[in-house]
Amino acid sequence: MNVFKKEMKANIKSLIIWCCAQVFIIFAGMMKYQGFSDSQVDVNALFAAFPEEIMVVFGIGSVDITKVAGFYSVFFLYFMLLAAVHATMFGAVVVSKEERDHCADFIYTKPVHRFQVIWPKLLAGIINILIFNVVTFGASVFFIAQHNNGDGLIDKVSLTMLALFILQLFFLALGAMFGAVLKNTKRATAAAAGLVMGFFILSVAVDLYSKLSFLKIFTPFKYFEGASLMINDQLSFSSAAILLIVSLVFFGLTFVAFNRRDLNT
Amino acid sequence: MNVIEINQLTKYYGKHRGIENVSFSVEEGEIFGFIGPNGAGKSTTIRTLLSLIHPTSGSATIFGKDCIKYGNEIRRDIGYLPSEVFYYEHMKVREVLNYSASFYDNVDYTRIQSLAEVMDLDLNKRIDDLSYGNKKKVGIVQGLLHEPKLIILDEPTGGLDPLMQQKFFELIRTENQKGATVLFSSHILSEVQKLCSRVAIIKDGTIVQVENIRDMQKHNYKKFTLEFKGVIDVHHFNLDGVTNLSVNEDTLHFLFKGDINRIVERLQGQSLLNMLVEEPSLEEIFMHYYQKEEQP
Repeated sequence: MNVFKKEMKANIKSLIIWCCAQVFIIFAGMMKYQGFSDSQVDVNALFAAFPEEIMVVFGIGSVDITKVAGFYSVFFLYFMLLAAVHATMFGAVVVSKEERDHCADFIYTKPVHRFQVIWPKLLAGIINILIFNVVTFGASVFFIAQHNNGDGLIDKVSLTMLALFILQLFFLALGAMFGAVLKNTKRATAAAAGLVMGFFILSVAVDLYSKLSFLKIFTPFKYFEGASLMINDQLSFSSAAILLIVSLVFFGLTFVAFNRRDLNT
Repeated sequence: MNVIEINQLTKYYGKHRGIENVSFSVEEGEIFGFIGPNGAGKSTTIRTLLSLIHPTSGSATIFGKDCIKYGNEIRRDIGYLPSEVFYYEHMKVREVLNYSASFYDNVDYTRIQSLAEVMDLDLNKRIDDLSYGNKKKVGIVQGLLHEPKLIILDEPTGGLDPLMQQKFFELIRTENQKGATVLFSSHILSEVQKLCSRVAIIKDGTIVQVENIRDMQKHNYKKFTLEFKGVIDVHHFNLDGVTNLSVNEDTLHFLFKGDINRIVERLQGQSLLNMLVEEPSLEEIFMHYYQKEEQP
């Protein structure tokens, strides 16, 4: 409990900043929707004139973005990216920070098993990503309602947030594993950031070149589609199952690797 | 009963040697010195005992239990002061100490206050505002606050002024009298001499010797300083048992271990201006362990 409390306290500031950024993105994004719907321009026709590559990179695929649900579904890509960066960094840092700050000798000479230190840290991570998720949910429903005659699309947003949370969990586990396996925090965060970037590039490549679609399974960003969540109310069960299982494996590896680790002073 | 028993402990960091076949034991209630130059393997040995690192081979037991397997149980009764003290920088001293205490059962929190008073430590300062010496004090309080049965000190006095060192030694002696066993690692021999009953000397990752300090000082070694009238025949005094032989103008210095009469015999017929026979300091006794053997 003491480790959990300490980690919550240590991360509260950064969590607030992340949440504020997220609220601002949703607020600003929905303002643009207002702009679209007011301008009376046929936005779909306008976007149809854009090269497909650009549309793909910005996550604007084939959805009708003049409808609020369609417009909001485009956000999912940005949510995934932000949440991925937040969760992987949290995981990578929380596991390895004592060694970075040279206080591993302090905490790991206490009468506890190493897993007894790691699991409250990961629990703090799960609570942090959950708060981030709930704030995203609240801000989404609030701002959607503003532009949709008071209907916040709670069901659709809830489903989207559930998908987002599964992804957050996956990235937290991924980051934690890097933190436990790699030599230090710097390497862990660098590797984690690189991998998130790689996943993103791969997801764009898959969208652009249909020949590459078999690579879809290698990027978590293709496991859920904003459009199917927001418009068809569908969350892929197999995607959720795979991500959760892989997350569990990563969490397991984190414990095993950390237990075997020679701690740096 | 032995509180610590180290058996052929070996640790390699990849190909780099940490320690090799280190074996020694520390008896209950003693203050045991662990001496060696920097990089000899003192911290590696200690960090293995605390299962911060895993041995390549060999084993160690503390309170009769394997130190890796039962690490969490054993550490309940260990107080440890690392050689380099770092704490969560943004926390206050009091917060760090309370956090530390929260890992133990039945901690007497007034002890934090009283230890801090003895060590003259301000509990309300932030860790990052503290000097090196003051951080060390935090380490000392942190290591002693749960009244451990085994106190492991890794180069504890760095950064402490002489007065604080004195207070610190008193604190350690008090804990020892209350029954705590102490493992005291240092490269400063005089402080080990002040405190310890037995010592292990480590050099280049291997134990060179384990000895009782008093035996070694009182019964074995004498430090000779001989001032001659005229030319000194150095070879005349190069006997078995003579070490650290050196000549400074007309004065001869050496340490001697063995039957004192053999020196007296050699002195016959010599013309002396002055002669001193003293107890050597541990520095002088151990100097030859410290000097690296010359490569052939």
